[in-house]
Amino acid sequence: MTVLEECLARPAYSIPSEEKEALLTGAFNELTSHHYEHCLPYSRILDGYWHGARTAASLADVPYLPVSLFKLRRLLSVGEEDVRVTLTSSGTTGQAVSQIFVDRESSMMQQKALANSLMHVLGTKRLPMLVVDTDAVFKDPRMMSARGAGVLGQMRFGRDHVFALDPALRPDVAAVRAFLEKHGDAPFFMFGFTFMVWASFYEAFRDLGLDLSNGVLIHSGGWKKMAEKAVDNQVFRASLKDAFGLTRVHNFYGMVEQIGSIFLEGTDGLLYPPNFADVIVRDPETWDVARVGEPGVVQVLSLLPRSYPGHSLLTEDMGVIEAVDRGQDGWMGKGLRILGRVAKAELRGCSDVIAAEAA
Amino acid sequence: MTGTLWTPVPQAVDDTELLRRVEVLTFSGRAPLAQQSLDLLGAISKAIFASPLARSQPQYAALAYWLRPAAIGRLCEELRRRFERGTFIPAPRGIALHLPPTNVDTIFVYSWAVSVLAGNCNIVRLPSDLSQGTAWLAGLIATAIAEAGEEDRHLFCQMPQDGHLIADISQHCDLRMIWGGDAKVDMVSRTPIRPDGLSIGFPDRKSLAVVRTDAYRAADEARRDALVAQLFNDIYWFNQMGCGSPRLLYWVGEPDELAGDLYRRLARHVAEKGHLTETGIAIGKFAAVNDLLAEGIGVEAQRFSNALHIVTSERPAAMLHQSQGGGLLGQAIVPSLVAIAADIGRKVQTIGYFGFDKDELEAFARAIAGRGGYRVVPIGQALQFDILWDGIDLLDQMTRRIAIRS
Repeated sequence: MTVLEECLARPAYSIPSEEKEALLTGAFNELTSHHYEHCLPYSRILDGYWHGARTAASLADVPYLPVSLFKLRRLLSVGEEDVRVTLTSSGTTGQAVSQIFVDRESSMMQQKALANSLMHVLGTKRLPMLVVDTDAVFKDPRMMSARGAGVLGQMRFGRDHVFALDPALRPDVAAVRAFLEKHGDAPFFMFGFTFMVWASFYEAFRDLGLDLSNGVLIHSGGWKKMAEKAVDNQVFRASLKDAFGLTRVHNFYGMVEQIGSIFLEGTDGLLYPPNFADVIVRDPETWDVARVGEPGVVQVLSLLPRSYPGHSLLTEDMGVIEAVDRGQDGWMGKGLRILGRVAKAELRGCSDVIAAEAA
Repeated sequence: MTGTLWTPVPQAVDDTELLRRVEVLTFSGRAPLAQQSLDLLGAISKAIFASPLARSQPQYAALAYWLRPAAIGRLCEELRRRFERGTFIPAPRGIALHLPPTNVDTIFVYSWAVSVLAGNCNIVRLPSDLSQGTAWLAGLIATAIAEAGEEDRHLFCQMPQDGHLIADISQHCDLRMIWGGDAKVDMVSRTPIRPDGLSIGFPDRKSLAVVRTDAYRAADEARRDALVAQLFNDIYWFNQMGCGSPRLLYWVGEPDELAGDLYRRLARHVAEKGHLTETGIAIGKFAAVNDLLAEGIGVEAQRFSNALHIVTSERPAAMLHQSQGGGLLGQAIVPSLVAIAADIGRKVQTIGYFGFDKDELEAFARAIAGRGGYRVVPIGQALQFDILWDGIDLLDQMTRRIAIRS
């Protein structure tokens, strides 16, 4: 059994930090060597910046790539002919997007890992699913986007799907009522993007007296737009509880560059890396590991990326590890809070671009 | 569309009014090196020196220094000698339009100041998105102009870069100075100016520094620290985004541990100067370093602090093309100064040096002639404005000659 398989065989989000460190370090070293052998640009980076493919003594010692490198160049550790899917990040128009190359094996492991994470909160049986979005998001090719792909990806974990919004993103009250009539008395699954859950669902449905106390809501997408509405996770959770009796709410943090690896929100409101993954917060001045409770730049590690060298990435997110091995309801390991994006910094000089000038 | 004219406070002005004011300039030129022109520049120098901003921002202090009466006086003396040699009367070119870069926020003053010395009337386009420093400087200059009663000779305004206004103004211009990226120079150049006018582009340039290893080895602590302070100015004044800021440092002779010595001193100096590197910039540089290594342009990289990343390159010509700023310095090792010549292309502007004598530098200049490279200056003067810029004698281009034959 590989370390990855072993991680998946154990209850999700259950491995304590020290044990995880001991279990994963060797597997990460193996992955680093694998990419070093099979990805020339990666080997150049290791030779040039990290003194070659050394054996890391700890997870903090594993070399990391800046996540934006996947926007700058094609990085793969398998032959082009083995690439089954090329994933791209959702970028605003005109911005470079990440390109992630996934082969059959990686794709399989990603699915397995994702299922493992979600089943931890949804149970092993597929539940009826209320999607907080419109089906046009994947049916209408003009709307097809990362959002559509995200919705489709989650739908595989539910059954008897009903969509809470119509194509114009107006509430479909009749559909939601019918869904609850049929499935509301037993556990059901809800999924949506954080901002849609708030702006299109909570704000539209809160006064209708809906009972969602049997629901398990999984949501993702970031808090930037929520911050504009002055809504943080606490307010979000409290509001859903007050309006719908919805208490089983799990945010998740993940990125296309480490697809399949999702940091799921435990019952204490913190984000936990899966068994086969970990998180390190680094001081933005020294890049040393920040102490628990100290904010810094988030580095994510995952055993999943094998077809591309994305197993250890420095993100552009700020975060803080609030607790380690708190163990509330069995959630072990590092509990992360995301604080937002690193402030965008732009350098302009003589070679200014016209776009900036014409503004 | 409407522009904003600084008179001296910013005021909205419509196109018709702006064009009328431009037309008025047509015959308002005066003799080159006129006393009123010198006085105006001197007043500006004094006003900058009097501001606390000049003390905190070295680029403003440098500007004030360049404009001070003694310096301008020396420059004028040299220029007068040039005029005296010819059998001609020097004359202004007429109306000059200056389109400075967005963020190297003193270029617009230098470009304008030389044109003032030339006796021209000027229109200076200020960036639409003004930094605090630029706004302050523009206000200061506009005030000095108003106090000198010269507001009908110099127009400082914000206006759209791609609209018809620049095209209409260009129709009146005898001289147009375009500073900025290749794309900007290319775009503006498509708009004609007066048939007898002259349009000069100052496009993208990249710069480098050369250190003679033996000279650095021989230098004592104080000398090394002094060099590092100079290098700091060249690199960090405009966050390495000035055309003259070095992006690559050549060691002539194997430096061994001396390289680390220099970079550690530099990183220390940067910290002492309180220069801040935002986390976003540091991460951006880290990505650029990774990209250079992945491409094979860099073979080794080291982070000395968030402000200083060093990338050793065996393909220095390719290294010069990277445009990341904020303290990302390439390094290459060469056996001799002339060995660098092969890496020099049209894009290279300034070569800052340490430890070479005049003969060596002249031999080097001859070796790069026909390739690129326009300025060979001691390290520390890379960003210093020079009346010879990008190989062009600015005052010559900004004036006309009226030939007199008897």
